[in-house]
Amino acid sequence: MTFSRGSYRTVVVGAGIVGLFTAYHLARSGGGPVLVVDRGFLSGGASGRNGGGVRQQWETRGTVRLAREAVAAYRRFGTEFGFNIWFRQSGYLFLAENDTELGRLKAVHTLVSSEGLPSTVLDAAGVARYIEGIAPGAVVGGTYLGSDGTLYPFPAVWGVYEAARSLGVEVALGVEALGVDVRDGRMAGVQTSKGTVATTTVVNAAGGWSGEFSRRAGLEVPNVATRHEILATESLKPFLDPMVVRASDGLYFSQSMRGEVIGGIALPHRPGTSRGQGSSPEFLLAMARALVGLIPRLRSVGVLRSWSGFYDDTPDGFPVIGPDPRLPGFVHANGFGGHGFMLAPATSRRVALAALGQPTDLDPAQFSPERFLAPGRAAVAERLQLG
Amino acid sequence: MGEPDRRFSFRGRPRSARPGEDLLAALARDRLPLLRRSIQYHRPQGPFCGIGHCAGCLVRVNGRPNVRACRYEPAEGDSVTTENAWPSPGFDLLAAIGLLFPNGVDTLHGLRRPAAATPIFQGLVRRLAGTGSPPTEEAGRALDAPAVERSCDVAVVGAGPSGRAVVRSLVASGTRPVVVERALRPTAVDGAELFGATTAVFLPPPREDAGGRFTVLAFREPAQAVRVTARSVVVASGGYDGPLLFRGNDRPGVITAAAALSLSEPPRHPPFGRAVVVGGGPRAAEQIERCGSAVEAVVAPGEVRPEVVRAAADLGVLLYPRSLLLRAYGRGRIRAIRIRARGGGAESTVPCDAVILAHRTLPHTQLFFQVGAKMDWHPEAGAYFPSVDPDGRTGVPRLFATGFVAGVRPGGLAEHADRLVRALSSRDLPPPSTPAAGSPRAPTELLGYYRELLRVPGHGRFVACPCADVLLSEVEEANRSGYRGIEVIKRYTSLGTGICQGRYCLPDALLVLSILENRPPEEVGYITQRPPVAVTPLAAFAALPAPASTTPEVP
Repeated sequence: MTFSRGSYRTVVVGAGIVGLFTAYHLARSGGGPVLVVDRGFLSGGASGRNGGGVRQQWETRGTVRLAREAVAAYRRFGTEFGFNIWFRQSGYLFLAENDTELGRLKAVHTLVSSEGLPSTVLDAAGVARYIEGIAPGAVVGGTYLGSDGTLYPFPAVWGVYEAARSLGVEVALGVEALGVDVRDGRMAGVQTSKGTVATTTVVNAAGGWSGEFSRRAGLEVPNVATRHEILATESLKPFLDPMVVRASDGLYFSQSMRGEVIGGIALPHRPGTSRGQGSSPEFLLAMARALVGLIPRLRSVGVLRSWSGFYDDTPDGFPVIGPDPRLPGFVHANGFGGHGFMLAPATSRRVALAALGQPTDLDPAQFSPERFLAPGRAAVAERLQLG
Repeated sequence: MGEPDRRFSFRGRPRSARPGEDLLAALARDRLPLLRRSIQYHRPQGPFCGIGHCAGCLVRVNGRPNVRACRYEPAEGDSVTTENAWPSPGFDLLAAIGLLFPNGVDTLHGLRRPAAATPIFQGLVRRLAGTGSPPTEEAGRALDAPAVERSCDVAVVGAGPSGRAVVRSLVASGTRPVVVERALRPTAVDGAELFGATTAVFLPPPREDAGGRFTVLAFREPAQAVRVTARSVVVASGGYDGPLLFRGNDRPGVITAAAALSLSEPPRHPPFGRAVVVGGGPRAAEQIERCGSAVEAVVAPGEVRPEVVRAAADLGVLLYPRSLLLRAYGRGRIRAIRIRARGGGAESTVPCDAVILAHRTLPHTQLFFQVGAKMDWHPEAGAYFPSVDPDGRTGVPRLFATGFVAGVRPGGLAEHADRLVRALSSRDLPPPSTPAAGSPRAPTELLGYYRELLRVPGHGRFVACPCADVLLSEVEEANRSGYRGIEVIKRYTSLGTGICQGRYCLPDALLVLSILENRPPEEVGYITQRPPVAVTPLAAFAALPAPASTTPEVP
């Protein structure tokens, strides 16, 4: 038997970090019984395919505050969840190639500093102190925040998975959510590849597949899945501490605990191309060129492997969090645009509240699904959709 | 040959390499060298695979880390040093980690309290990890070969016996193929353009906006990009010797048949004096013929075939059929092995200085996975093979396979090559018909073997993944915690994420998990390696201009 019951108080679609954290918070606040379904295996989606970056440098106050809360949660993760996620706070270094970019980064710095986070603005020499062997003239400057960092995503998934299960959350892997049952205009059940379960609340935390699931529920949403690739090099003794991000082309990379350089770069999105989580030669070439252009001494370093995953992108770059007014009982926790891991510990508490029908402190203009239903309202947008 | 010997330094001492000799062969003149320490526990490691995939012979050459000694021909004046061992690979103080924690360090649950000490643990672990110091800028600048681009009708991957047979047939039919071959000094093929020392690392599915042609991305040692576009591709990538789990399976002195063969190639003498060959089939017989009196005994997981019995009888080699290999003794170097008859017989000790794995051949299938060819699970081989018809057609139009990966016997290569070239030249492209009949792959019986081995006390200390230092006990712990399937176990334990990308651990892990999860191996998961097929220097990729097809597609 796939499910232990025929009906649940809440069904979460997606067993990535967002879905699992949400289920965990639901179970903790008495929102059970909770069922989590996922079409794949644990960590098979973006939660097992990301670069592990966690940063607090953002363009809006709302996101900075969520990120700061997430960083605090990840600091406590080892003692709370029993898994060592190797959260290493050795900074995020944003690079500017010209004065326009530096101006933009300075604006972020001003906002981040006003929130009490000690970010700094660096000149080219200051950047060079963090990146040994950087090509001369590659940057005019950058910004740095030392309490940003990187973590190892897999143990974070295991930790929340085991904690949620020990609170009674049921996680059904290899089960696809196919659609919803609606009765009297409200959520009544979720149809899955293993049968239908009754529920009055569903949380769409399906990451790159969330747009598809919303549409299967008859809800038009602007979420777009975009494929992003990453590579890992062979392992080297430590030479780079921070996560490095270049705003102009979306290049980002860090050196992992095991010494591999892990990173990616933005490529032109090709709508209509395969949804497979495979790799492309275009990425390998572009990434290699960007890396050795910035740090020439990496020329002889070998690429070990490359892989890809999906960002769940929204038009304004902000996640979609909260109940959908068109279908009572349908709650969004998606549209994280590649930053689900960074924000999940903070957002998921609020998703759980929303799923329990309670208000949250999130600014609806920035996070609620309603912002896409009233055209012309989007006044702000996050452009730092990187790393 | 007339070329002079090349003089180089190894850890500051003068050494020399004969013309055509790779660095590993030059360092393994008299005995198998201990070249490095493992990434986490600093266990002693030596050359293992001999074909440029494992971590066993990584050295630093002229400021470049992670150079595979078996893939590098020394140049006059080279400076070669060892890494990740202090003060030397033979006596490494950091090996205390492995000795203090014989059952491994739990980096998944451990080292997380007190929270205030986290940065200290992290700094320490980071410094202990890392297979080599970062390269010097000069080492990077030296890799400046411009990329090579070729466009042709037919590209052939692999110039071993099966690849050469196809090239001969192609040339006879008036086609001049481009051939890439991984061997540093491959046998010449007339009528074709041959790139030696060149590894095909990426074969993506052909794209319509590239005219439906294939693109083979390859690199020539040390770092030259070779990009071949072709209307048709024939993959003759062959096979490699599989791994085996036992206590001490990652010790210096445990080598594959391929490594033993190349290090014993005449006029060289084998770099060991009394080796144990594991396996009872043709590959084992080949070892005995090549290494002769340097072979002490044959230990076979299953039966010993007549040709091995004959070869062994001539040389007085001892035979241990249907035996479990329990452990190898000796820390820095192997002194002996412990074996037991299958089904619970008496244990015995066989003195030896090398263990040669020749019990199992696995296919090089990564390019087939990458290009999206249909794959079939072959239980008797414990591996996936591309689905091919009798003409060598795969599930991908104009992609062909021959040789071991296509189930073609060595005696049938020429005939298969002719059939393949006729099919390749025909205008109509019928879909693949029936799979090739008659597999030459010997049944491994390994599933039953491992079922028995997993009942041996202390099997948790077998090294399930030598590249990432994962013990079998960690795999069992993951299973006990409820994690299932090879993909999740990989992520839970780091198994298969090291330098060989799982080539030498995933095939066995699949069998072990099949036993632990009580379901057939093919249900435990797919074994795939992600591109590139072999570790490829950034300089090679960076030298290639982006293809025109990177412009955004019209939806």
